Amino acid sequence: MRKTDIIDVIARKLSPYILLFGFYLVAFGHRTPGGGFQGGVVMASGIILLALGRDPTVAMTAFPPAKLSIAEAASYILLLALGVAGVAVGGYFLENVLPPGFAVPRVGFVFALNIVIGIKVGAGVSLIALHLFREESG
Amino acid sequence: MRRVVRVMVDAAALLAIAVFLVLSVVPEIATPVADATGSETPRALDSIRVHILERGTEETGAFNLVTAIYLGYRAYDTLGETIVLLLAVSGIVYLVGAKR
Repeated sequence: MRKTDIIDVIARKLSPYILLFGFYLVAFGHRTPGGGFQGGVVMASGIILLALGRDPTVAMTAFPPAKLSIAEAASYILLLALGVAGVAVGGYFLENVLPPGFAVPRVGFVFALNIVIGIKVGAGVSLIALHLFREESG
Repeated sequence: MRRVVRVMVDAAALLAIAVFLVLSVVPEIATPVADATGSETPRALDSIRVHILERGTEETGAFNLVTAIYLGYRAYDTLGETIVLLLAVSGIVYLVGAKR
């Protein structure tokens, strides 16, 4: 399949900004619209644009599927650890462990959940897309 | 490298099953409903809405009330959604990712 230079250049120049916008959505999820899921999907769409506009192998060398798998599993384990921390402190599962008036503001727990979920969703969705693209490219 | 990936994904899946088993057996530590139903307002839905509008930011710390609900009060649902995504990824990897 032939591709024009326009698609190539635009995909190459635009995908880092899409990744950055995804990080912004994740990091500001507690103040502005956005959050872990949405920001993670935007990050994955940057990787998907790289894979579609250039070549799946290019996206796979930049984001190796093995490392994406590690990121997915590790962030999931981290999410469960954050949830169990609430039980360990003495509350219920996924309770906000930061007490009011602590050195870290109370929103830090929501922020940490957003970061972990963002990494997990971004890695998972891009992992699905990269696997499907690799099969198609043979 | 591949063995590390496999061990970590196995551990994640087993932890998912274990967490749901524990939470279904021990309901005391599962996330409770916001304690607004105990107030004097006769209609529970109204009181929950008022409670979240007035005290949501204070209780969860998030200025965004949508985030306050879905990560502060309802983080358990979000955990379930991420488990759905994890299962989808493992299904895709099992079906098309093994050939090399």
